Parts: sequence; structure tokens; C-alpha cells
Amino acid sequence: MTLVALATLGALAVAVVCGLVIGPISMGTSRVLGDVVSHLGLGHSTLTPLQSLIIWQVRAPRMVLGLLAGAMLAVAGATYQGVFRNPLADPYLLGVAAGAGLGATVAIVDLGGGLNTPSWTPLLAFGGAMVAVVVTWVIGGRGLRSSTSTLILAGVAVAALFTSSQTFLLQQSSPNSIAVVYIWLLGSLASATWSSVTLVLPYVLVCVVICVAAGQALDVMSVGEDESRSLGLPVRRVRLIVIAASSLGTAAIVSAVGLIGFVGIIVPHIVRLLVGTSYRRILPISVAFGAAFLVFADTIARTVMAPSELPLGVVTAIVGAPVFVIILSLRRQMVT
Amino acid sequence: MSTIELLDLSVRAGSTTLISDVSLNVEAGTWCTVIGPNGAGKTTLVEAVAGLRRPSEGSVSISGEPVGSMSERERAKRVALVPQHPTVPAGMSVRDYVALGRTAYHGLLRAPSALDRKTVDTVLARLTLDEFSHRDVFTLSGGERQRMVLARALAQSTMVMVLDEPITGLDLRHQMTILELLQKEVHECGLTVLATLHDLTLAGQFADRLVLLDHGRVVLDGPSGEVVRSEELEACYGMRLRVIDVDGADVVIPVRH
Repeated sequence: MTLVALATLGALAVAVVCGLVIGPISMGTSRVLGDVVSHLGLGHSTLTPLQSLIIWQVRAPRMVLGLLAGAMLAVAGATYQGVFRNPLADPYLLGVAAGAGLGATVAIVDLGGGLNTPSWTPLLAFGGAMVAVVVTWVIGGRGLRSSTSTLILAGVAVAALFTSSQTFLLQQSSPNSIAVVYIWLLGSLASATWSSVTLVLPYVLVCVVICVAAGQALDVMSVGEDESRSLGLPVRRVRLIVIAASSLGTAAIVSAVGLIGFVGIIVPHIVRLLVGTSYRRILPISVAFGAAFLVFADTIARTVMAPSELPLGVVTAIVGAPVFVIILSLRRQMVT
Repeated sequence: MSTIELLDLSVRAGSTTLISDVSLNVEAGTWCTVIGPNGAGKTTLVEAVAGLRRPSEGSVSISGEPVGSMSERERAKRVALVPQHPTVPAGMSVRDYVALGRTAYHGLLRAPSALDRKTVDTVLARLTLDEFSHRDVFTLSGGERQRMVLARALAQSTMVMVLDEPITGLDLRHQMTILELLQKEVHECGLTVLATLHDLTLAGQFADRLVLLDHGRVVLDGPSGEVVRSEELEACYGMRLRVIDVDGADVVIPVRH
């Protein structure tokens, strides 16, 4: 466990350095790090003002947004898997993705004229995501009387409704707007700025803290609802708080970076293979692992085919799937 | 010392009545076993006492306090449950599983205290589970697993314990082990026990009192020797039973047609 934690923190540090150093304009690792250190008041930077600007206004916000998105999606996925006791749960389970997709489509098609991504797209995406989750929660019996499977089914129904509404809107619009929406849906960190970072930061901080603090409760919940109640766990309250935090944080991230798949489902499983089944370990490690993983994936996405970029969601799956398979088979060898 | 009091308790699920008008009083430090055919309402009764089912009518109290008005946390400090089919989460160690019994004491945001850890150690030792404490719960045999579930309930440090078929699927020796461990808790620590059992011989040997339940109603309530010899018992199961005294223990044998 300590080894895994240290390795993950190491990977996180390497990811941060990669996010700052690697890019179309090569500046040298030591000079970039020298510039970072000089901002802390130590030594002098050897970068030109333009190079420094690229580091601080292009790469740094993108890297930080990547850290936040990776951490939030991974911890939300792990939390959902715990609260629903379902290994297939991911942060989009209760309709966040479909709601955000519809919100973004409305923004792009109706308000942006289908030509670009207007500035209020994140706001509408966030609103759409929250509406979808709240509708799911209400028709799923507010998670009170009903079992979690009712909630999951409600999520499926709401997602279907929102997705088909989105398809209808797109079908009525121009081919150009379909392309704009499609690109938004694929997810990207390319439009990251410090203002998008400061917008999502409070949500992500609060929600990640709540999710990580829920580790002990999720461990108790692994014995099922009735038994955990008999052990003194206020199951319904815990479920509400945890689902609200995961969904809110995910909605904030999705509104800023679009739909990045795979991180929320694969990272918690990789972490589980490494540290075991206790959520007290899975959740904090997922935060760091998810953050590092997404920044690595983004570094690949923006360099492999530079100057054009690969969709981030594609890279997370292409990188994540083999990593998962390798760890799975290594672990199987260890067990047998 | 605690008592369990059921007063005119009825539990319904939709239009189906699961138990109706059950009144029952289990004195502190005694063992009461509920017997009856499948579908008699035994599990519902146990779940109502554990606070998992809300009474449709009547009330369930522990030492005079209604179970329904307690928070989950308060309730978990008063009554522990050994369910019929406990969920065994693969990957968890035996020690961590038993430590779940302390949830109500340390809460959800604080780590277990020294007292919590000591309680878990004591219970593991008392149930001779210490040598398994780091094993994965999934690798235990049926008997070991049931002992572990009992350990979790004991770690709750309650004065009342309800058990739903705690010896189902165990071999004879493990059945006796579980029941003797429980009896020790009743005699030495004043634990109040409400259990359901299918084995009438064992039910009679271990309980201070038997309650015969059928179709959700109490048919007979009395000392073990009387209940196992009653005509009502034969009527509930729809068959003839013979009771033989073997060294002071009543052995109940079904008579083949």
C-alpha cells in the first residue's frame, strides 16, 4: 500500500513535469523547471518572456485542469462503484453525460448558431447535467424507499430521454453544428484557461474531499444496505451526500472539458487491483492516479499528431485498456 | 440489562400481512427462540426487532425505548443482528469485517479508537478467530464464516442480539459451537437473545423459552419442554412428532407416515 501510494505520487510529479515541459515548442526540461523555480523567488529564468508565457498561460492551466478532471472523474467513479456496489458504475451513470450533452447542444445549436462554441456552453452543460441527475434522483424514488437498482434504471431512462432530445436537436440543425457538438462531446483540455480552472476548482476541491471522506462509510456499505444499517450506518443520508458530491463535481468537470470517458471506470479498477478492496485506500489513491493518468493521456493527445490533437477520450481508452489488462494479468499470476 | 418488548406488532408488505398482533416480552439475560414452519414470519419478526422493518401497527421496544425512534447509530449500540444470509465482501480481512461492528462507536469520519481495537481483539480471541484475522473473509469455511459474523455482532457490544437461523448449513459440531458460544454470552455477560431456529431439538436445548409462530401469529409461548410436546407444534408442521428424553434433553423426531 505505501509502495503504491509513493509510486502514484511519483507518477503524479512526473505527469506535472511532462505537462509543463512537453509541447510543440521545445524549451528543455531544466530551463522550464528553472522558470518554475524562479517564480518561487529562487534563481533566474533563462526563458524568453514569450516562452514563459506559453508555460504559464497555455501549458500550466491545461495541466492543472487535467489534474482536476482526472482526480474528480476517477474518485467519482470509485465512489459510484462503492455506493451502487456495482463494478460497472461510472460517473456518468445517473445521466450527467446525457444532461451535459443536451445542455451543450442547446448552447451550440440554438444560441451559438451552430458555428462555434459560445461562452455559455459550460453553464448550459453544467445545468443540463444537474437537471438530469436531479430528475433521475426524483423518479428513482429519491434513493429512499427504493433499491439502488431502481436509481440506476432511472438513470438509464433519463439518459435515453436526454440523448434522444439531443439527437433530435442535432437532426434539425446544420451539418456544421453537428461537427461542433461532436468535437465538444469528445472532450478536450485544449480550451483550458486559468479562468476555467478557477471556475471548477471550488467544486472539485469540495467534492473530492467529501468523496474521500466517505471511504469508511463505503467500506461498511460493502455488506449491503440492511446489514450496514444494522451496523449503525445512516445509509440513505450517506448515499444522498455521496451521490450529490460525485455528480456535482463530475458536472463541473464535464462542463469545462466535455465528456472524457474511461477514466472514471478504469482508474478505480486499476487502483483496486493494486491496493485491494478497501475504499479507505481506493479513494485517495484514485485521486492521485486519476490526476496523473489524465495529464499523461493529454500529453500524448496533444503531441502524437502535433500540431493537430487526438481526442482525449480516445487516448484515455487506448492507454487505459492495455494498462488495465497488464495489471489484471500480473495480478492473476501473483494469485496463482 | 435489557429486555425486548413487542406489543401487538403487525408488519405488512403491500397487502400481505407478514406478522400480525404479536406480543412478546424477552426478559433481560434470557434466550428466547422463535420456531415455526417456513413462511411463518420468523425473519420478519427478527428484522422488526433489528429496526429494519417498520411496524404497520404496534411497537417494538428495547428496554422501554421504541426501536423506530432511535437513529441507526443509537440502535446499533442497543441491538446487534446476525442475518440469515450475511453478505461476505471478498477482499476484506476477517479483522476488518469484525471491526465493522464498531462503526456506531467511532463514527464515519474518525478512525477506530484504542477501545474499538481492543474490543475487536477481545472478540476475535474469544471466538478463536485470532489465527484467521488476516485471512480474506472469502477463504473461510462455512463454520468459520458464521463464527466471524457472530464476532461482528459481539463487537457491537450490545445487550441484545437477534439471530436469524444462525446455524443453517453448518455441520453438527459447528452448530454446537455457535450455540454454546452464544449461551456463554447469555450466562456470563447477561446478553438477551432472540433467535430463530429450524432444528427443534437444538432450539429446545438452548432456549429458556420457545415461541411457536405460524401464519404470522403466535400460536404458543412457553418453556421449551412444553412447547415441543404440544399438539399445536404438530398441527403447525402438519405432521406427527415424537419427543424422547435423552439424559434430560428433549429430542424431537418426525414420525414417517
